[in-house]
Amino acid sequence: MRAIMHMDLDTFFVSCERKMDSRLNGKPILIGGTSDRGVVASCSYEARRFGIHSAMPMRMARQLCPEAIVLRGNSGVYSKFSDEVTAIIKEAVPLYEKSSVDEFYADLTGVDKFYGCYKMATELREKIIHETGLPISFGLSVNKTVSKIATGEAKPNNKINVISGTEKPFLAPLSVKKIPMIGDVTYRSLCNLGVKRIQSIQEMPMEVMEKVFGKNGIVMWKKANGIDNTPVVPYQERKSISTERTFDKDTIDTKKLEGLILAMAENLVFQLRRGNKLSACVTIKIRYSDFQTYTLQKQIPYSASDHTIIPVAIELFRKLYNRRLLVRLIGVRLSHLVEGGHQINLFDDSHIIGLYQAMDKIREKYGDRAIMKAAGMEAKTLSRFNPFTGEPPPLLPHRRA
Amino acid sequence: MNFIISSSALLKNLQSISGVLNSSNSLPILDNFLFELVKGELTISASDLENTMKTSVKPDEAKEDGKIAIPAKLLLDTLKNFSDQPLAFSIDASNFGIEISSDYGKYKLVGQNAADFPKSPELKGASSVKLKGDVIAQAIDKTAFATGNDELRPVMSGVFCQFSPEKLIFVATDAHKLVRYTRTDGSASKNSDFILPKKPLNLLKSNLTGAEEVEISYNESTARFNFGTIELTCRLIDGKYPNYEAVIPTDNPNVLTVDRVSFLNSIKRVSIFSNKTTHQVKIKVAGSELTISAEDLDFSNEAKERLTCSYSGDDMEIGFNSKFLMEMLNHINTTEVVLEMSEPNKAGILLPSGNENEQEHILMLVMPVMIR
Repeated sequence: MRAIMHMDLDTFFVSCERKMDSRLNGKPILIGGTSDRGVVASCSYEARRFGIHSAMPMRMARQLCPEAIVLRGNSGVYSKFSDEVTAIIKEAVPLYEKSSVDEFYADLTGVDKFYGCYKMATELREKIIHETGLPISFGLSVNKTVSKIATGEAKPNNKINVISGTEKPFLAPLSVKKIPMIGDVTYRSLCNLGVKRIQSIQEMPMEVMEKVFGKNGIVMWKKANGIDNTPVVPYQERKSISTERTFDKDTIDTKKLEGLILAMAENLVFQLRRGNKLSACVTIKIRYSDFQTYTLQKQIPYSASDHTIIPVAIELFRKLYNRRLLVRLIGVRLSHLVEGGHQINLFDDSHIIGLYQAMDKIREKYGDRAIMKAAGMEAKTLSRFNPFTGEPPPLLPHRRA
Repeated sequence: MNFIISSSALLKNLQSISGVLNSSNSLPILDNFLFELVKGELTISASDLENTMKTSVKPDEAKEDGKIAIPAKLLLDTLKNFSDQPLAFSIDASNFGIEISSDYGKYKLVGQNAADFPKSPELKGASSVKLKGDVIAQAIDKTAFATGNDELRPVMSGVFCQFSPEKLIFVATDAHKLVRYTRTDGSASKNSDFILPKKPLNLLKSNLTGAEEVEISYNESTARFNFGTIELTCRLIDGKYPNYEAVIPTDNPNVLTVDRVSFLNSIKRVSIFSNKTTHQVKIKVAGSELTISAEDLDFSNEAKERLTCSYSGDDMEIGFNSKFLMEMLNHINTTEVVLEMSEPNKAGILLPSGNENEQEHILMLVMPVMIR
């Protein structure tokens, strides 16, 4: 029998801000994008009382609670605090997985024999609270799904131990929405079927779920029954890297859009080279103002050079952008990643590789955007994190919907 | 049209030209062999529109001239299952019926109208050159492996032949590696160049025995090879071959000389530990020590080997695709090879050390991969 612990830092961004400024304690706080398109990335429990939840548009949240303090957030500071917590967990447990900036799984299997899983988990939580001052909740059970749901139930700043064998009765009374993979859409179709509590899924035959939801139905049914064999993975290999950008105001300025695509592609290609990776697939994504989203991708020979990938990205964008409509979001993704250096081409300009290496050196010393193509200069904020450290991608506090 | 022929002689002739046949054809007629009987001489052809291969054989007995297209697969499959014996073919020109009689019995099949079979192109204004089969076989063997597969750059999928009164040059490249094979023991009457596609080269290679004399005739669009009883006509690749001379670096101060077989075997072993997609290995030379290393971070595989070598130049660290290095080393015959380099970002040149054959010059070039 396994013992999996799931930890979640309560209202992480808010806790970080409160740690830095104690005047924020006890007040309703919203963290997120401050523009019209901004969404709430994190909100304090005081704000939740007004009906605010994360991922809600910031405008709506402000209407619900005009006296709330709105902060733009600083992902650099948050990831620093997150790293402190990571360091403590790393020291304490044999195997852990950082699944996002404020969530961790730890595999405590076998600890019971000598120590007691629940005791160890409790002590770890106390240690984190004591040393970092950040509130954290945990759930302990036999697998990741049940532990994660348990943490959700434990919050705020508490703990739950689901004793082995009691997973099904523990889950039964909860809303199906608590199952991690069930989002708004699935929830609605389940409600239409009259399924609101996890118990109903538990009582359904697996085949019915499969008929309605396909393969996902089986996974859902298993999760509802407390069955989940996924292991705790210490290092998440990145399968793709991407950036995307939602505009404050929808735009039809193709010059600006192409400049942004170019800047995004240039930045991603630099990330590839820094991680000693090659990509063989470029994807472009466009979301128009009517929320219709389109993607187009192209396979290329393995490459990590600007002059092979950027023209492909621009070409795909020109092909994909054909609706003469305002654009809400654009994005670039590089996938099919493998480890390796770029194979230099015999007939390319012999200086170009030297140029890339010089640019990369400048970027490593002075930052990602220290040097760039002039056409991409208008794109101001692009992510600056290294995607190949095995860390989960950061959740930007000021993202836009 | 009737003839009697030994089954093994026929099979041998068919097999030498059957390489032209594609497994799937746009034109059904191309799934056939064309049999033409003229004055007691039987000519058999196969074609894929781009390439046509002909062979001629004298049947034991022949009556009435004529032409017929016979389904290739059916005929080959039948012949493969005969012990050597005379086969009598009798063809009814009115309904294209073919009847084969063997010692065991009779087989009937239906052919197609020979008039539908594509004609092999005429060579107008052709120049010609005569070469030993061995020279051509060597040239193909040394270069064909370096040709590319990129459909966007068709010229690189063939071997570039540059003939002049002084020498013959064969070049192949896929933009990552390049081979230039020069022969000074053959010459053409005037300067000319053309690009031969890969398929006819492979057909040639499998049919050349080495001793025969091959006559090559060519114009701007077509080349024809005549040797023994075989005639191979192929369409040339149309386009301008890249200026390969310009990309071969001449100033390479770092020169490494190493035993070929031990270098090859080291790379073979080390490359097993490299990434399965990119096959990259790192070569480091310092003093007279050569280090070959590879790692696959996905599986934490790692290998490192040391070799002694003689080296003159600055210490170097350079990355290569091990597949390319292995292919090249496999196509060199000398005991030692020389690797000339200038910078980690620039081409490495692989040469045989010392020449076995004064008339033959090989230069192989391989582009490195960027290393950090």
